[in-house]
Amino acid sequence: MASSCSQALRHHVCKSSRILRVHLQKAWPNRSFVLNPAADQQPAVSSPEEIVIPKKKTWSKEAVLQALASTVNRDPTASDYRFQDDPYLTPKTSSEFKLFSLSQESGRNAAKYFISTYPKYFQKDYAQPHIPCLMPETLEAQLEEVSEAALIERIQMRKVKAAVDLYDQLQQAGTPVSLDVTNQLLDLICFYGDCDPAQENVPEQRNEETVGQENKLSHNKRSPCLVFSFRENNNAERVFALLSEPNTHSYSALIRGMVKYGAYSKAFSTYTDLLNNQLKADVSTFNALITAAPEVKEKYNEKWELIVDLLKQMAEQKVKPNLLTLNAVLKALRRCGTVGKSQAFPVISEMRALSIDPSLASYNHLLSIFYKPGHKGQTDILQEVMNEVSGKSFTPQDPDDAQFFITAVRICLDTKDIEQAYRVHELLGVGENWRLLGNDFQQNIYHARFFSLLCMMENIDVVLKWYRDLVPSVYYPSSNVMRDLLQALDTDNRLDLIPQIWKDLKQLGHGNRQTLVEELLTLMAREKQNQEVQETFAECALDIKKMYDTGDRGKVMMSWTAGSLSDLVSVLLAAQRRQDAWEILKLFKTHNRVPSEELLDKFLTCIKESGDVNQALELVQISAGFCLPGTPKLIQRVQQEFLLSEQQK
Amino acid sequence: MYRRLLINIYQVRNGLIHTQNTRLPSTKCKERESFAPVIWAPCTARPLGTSSISFSENKESSTSLSEDKEKRPEENEAKEEVNADGQKSTEISNATLTSQLETEPVDKPEDSKQVEKTKSGKESLLELLGAMKVEVTTVRKIRPSKTPRMSERPDQEPMESTHSMFQHATAEGSQQQGTLNPALVAAVSAAASTLPNRHQAESELLKQLRKHEAVPDTQRRADGQNIGHIIADMKVGGRKTNGRSSARPTSQIRFDDDGKGYTQDRGITGELDAVRRRKSPFTSKRLNIFTAGMEQDTLSVLGPTLWDIDLANQIVQATNQAPRNGFEEMIQWTKEGKLWQYPINNEAGLEEEASVPFHEHVFLEKHLDESFPRQGPVRHFMELVITGLAKNHHLTVQQKKEHIDWFRDYFRQKDDVLKEAEA
Repeated sequence: MASSCSQALRHHVCKSSRILRVHLQKAWPNRSFVLNPAADQQPAVSSPEEIVIPKKKTWSKEAVLQALASTVNRDPTASDYRFQDDPYLTPKTSSEFKLFSLSQESGRNAAKYFISTYPKYFQKDYAQPHIPCLMPETLEAQLEEVSEAALIERIQMRKVKAAVDLYDQLQQAGTPVSLDVTNQLLDLICFYGDCDPAQENVPEQRNEETVGQENKLSHNKRSPCLVFSFRENNNAERVFALLSEPNTHSYSALIRGMVKYGAYSKAFSTYTDLLNNQLKADVSTFNALITAAPEVKEKYNEKWELIVDLLKQMAEQKVKPNLLTLNAVLKALRRCGTVGKSQAFPVISEMRALSIDPSLASYNHLLSIFYKPGHKGQTDILQEVMNEVSGKSFTPQDPDDAQFFITAVRICLDTKDIEQAYRVHELLGVGENWRLLGNDFQQNIYHARFFSLLCMMENIDVVLKWYRDLVPSVYYPSSNVMRDLLQALDTDNRLDLIPQIWKDLKQLGHGNRQTLVEELLTLMAREKQNQEVQETFAECALDIKKMYDTGDRGKVMMSWTAGSLSDLVSVLLAAQRRQDAWEILKLFKTHNRVPSEELLDKFLTCIKESGDVNQALELVQISAGFCLPGTPKLIQRVQQEFLLSEQQK
Repeated sequence: MYRRLLINIYQVRNGLIHTQNTRLPSTKCKERESFAPVIWAPCTARPLGTSSISFSENKESSTSLSEDKEKRPEENEAKEEVNADGQKSTEISNATLTSQLETEPVDKPEDSKQVEKTKSGKESLLELLGAMKVEVTTVRKIRPSKTPRMSERPDQEPMESTHSMFQHATAEGSQQQGTLNPALVAAVSAAASTLPNRHQAESELLKQLRKHEAVPDTQRRADGQNIGHIIADMKVGGRKTNGRSSARPTSQIRFDDDGKGYTQDRGITGELDAVRRRKSPFTSKRLNIFTAGMEQDTLSVLGPTLWDIDLANQIVQATNQAPRNGFEEMIQWTKEGKLWQYPINNEAGLEEEASVPFHEHVFLEKHLDESFPRQGPVRHFMELVITGLAKNHHLTVQQKKEHIDWFRDYFRQKDDVLKEAEA
């Protein structure tokens, strides 16, 4: 009894202690996050085995979101993400796409403009914590006094004129300006070519197309600067001359500015100056000079020798080249003809030896060296390049990186190499490479080239698979590409798909392209299909007729030609729609077109099948009305094949 | 692939153990082997290469013992091959051959030697196993070297193999003659009868059969030594075929079990391979201007200049930065600072307190020193206050100090009241 009792007691104690422990373990994490890991690790450390405590891993703040984003695939039936807010604004044509995306960006820019122009109305800071990027930027200089601090402020706001003025005032007042600040000023002047930057050039610009246009605009604006930029005694040179001891940075700024604004030979003489002053150039100076090298020499050999000379001087001055050096050399080699072909690979190996891996821009230059447009290039270079790059994920490192895909797919199209095109497309799907496809315009070019190559080389099923995948979620084909598609349909004898394609055409806004529509009609009229297909053809043809009648937004864009009308009639006749065809036949008259004899012949055969005598006579009359030479033959046929009353004769 | 080979071996072994007729599988293999080159020889014209293919066939046929279905497409394949080569006469004979071989597993050629040596059943079993394994090895051995060899000396090979064939013929004499199974011989003669020059054709076909038997035999012996290594390799190596990765994966696919073994390879991929092997221009010589371990002179770096900012800006504009989905947009917002960052640890959102050490939060007595009375109810009350504050994780240290300061002011104002109450 007692033993059993004590056993029960012990059991109870055991149980309760276990419960307690469980509770404790539960309670600990709640109480303190800091203690818990320590408590867990204590026994682990005391055990004889060597436990390596993993180092603290720092996650970027986007890590979770990146992981989530990687789970989302593209939906080929959905439009681009930026249009998904408003189904009404889902673009259907390429022009709509352009319009909507541009208006979205311009709205953003307009808001930003107002906030920055009238900052006093936007001072209320609702955000908790504070969000700096939502607050108005200060565009006006805050410091009014003449001091170095005010100069720095103006440099940071990129006000070239004001900064130069202030610098002059400081000089006149005899206040010394430190070398660093002067160098920054020099950077500013040289960068903007001694002109105030255009207002739009705020760094937060995201839309590429508007930027592209603005760049063009500002380029036009800059072109006068280009002329005046490096004449004698412009501000840059003046400020530079005022420096008692210019250092590498000052020279670098000046040379880069000269190269940027086309004063190439001057850049080289400045470089000689630098050497005379026992200074060393930096890598960006050399990059700029290499870019300028093809401009100052005439012959291919001389250009290359100059580049080699510059590279040797880099080695002498112990300046380590970077990726931009490689790209600058390759870009220069594009203009060196055959020398480029022989030297491109040694240059890349040289840089490889310095553990500089080429970026997509390097490969782009390489391809451009070997494949000149219009020439038959060496076909295996693209293959080699693809062997190098495929499967790799690239990060943007050079503005030219975005050209690679377009160039590669252009070469594929030129050499009709579908296999490499697939590899290029595959590369696009790796990692973040899609970012390197560039802006909307470039994406469009890429997809157009890729798709027309597909139309040319692949059988229609594969083409249609890609068509469904790409159109219209990422790509809005132009009418030329749609014609390629029609040709592909034709070669593979899948004309029964035409009505479907016509629907897409209409939606893509190509319903009013006369040549395209006529080609469509010709394809439908050319051969007799089976009954079902013929029926859909007829529907499609009537739809096309509607397009001719109403046009786009009430405006008639296309005019009937004899060919299109007769194609239309033959399609309708083949589908046994005599009445509709009769209507069309009347259109010949109203549009002053002349039907062909074969068409009338065909029509008569059709009438004969139904045995409508009156219509046959009318047909003869129409034919006579056009004064066709075949009218007597037609009359003869009618007389032979129909039972005519006297009056009708 | 290797796993598959291993499976094959196991299957064969099982077959040996379970079916008493131990010879059956290898018979089949041998037969396959012996007729396959006949089919292949005209289209490839290099016996060594084809022998490897025939090995693979062996392999496949050994699996097909268990699953007969696999064999069908293979046969069809073979016929197609012949068809393609326009050798209609041999096609007929081959067709008959295959069917015969399929149906009747007769006395087998190779094992006659074993029988001669009168080995015990166990020994012969081991031998067979070894043979199977070696076959596997030869497949692996030959494939990488196949193409180079072809390019190096396309003409010598047939000579060599015929030579070896003669050696065999002389060495083993009439024995050899007997090794060819009668059904085969019958089939060959039947096939030959369809040809104009009957006797010659027959003898040639027979020669051919023997030849392809002989060559593998010699190879087998040579390669038998490495078997241990190679098996070990198989287990460890797995998918990593370091040295052999140049032997393109397509050739492996070719021998895989999906029925349509060797149809349309060696077209474009073969050419590609040749190109790849030919030496990439990317490994060409360098200019030798720079030295690799060069140390850069450190210039005074002041942080990003205007040019650097502009370069970054240009890159951003050249690339596609538009988000593709909601998460990417959120990433963008996070980077811009518009979105509260997704918590990735327990200290998320504690930026301003990150630099404040823990004891500042907990030990607040130091703030009570001067202005509060040393003892009494006010002191007691304030001690309770700081205890509460020490445990409050919602307030920053600054806020806690302000809290205490508020009480300090309060008690100062109520000083006279407190005095009155003599607290």
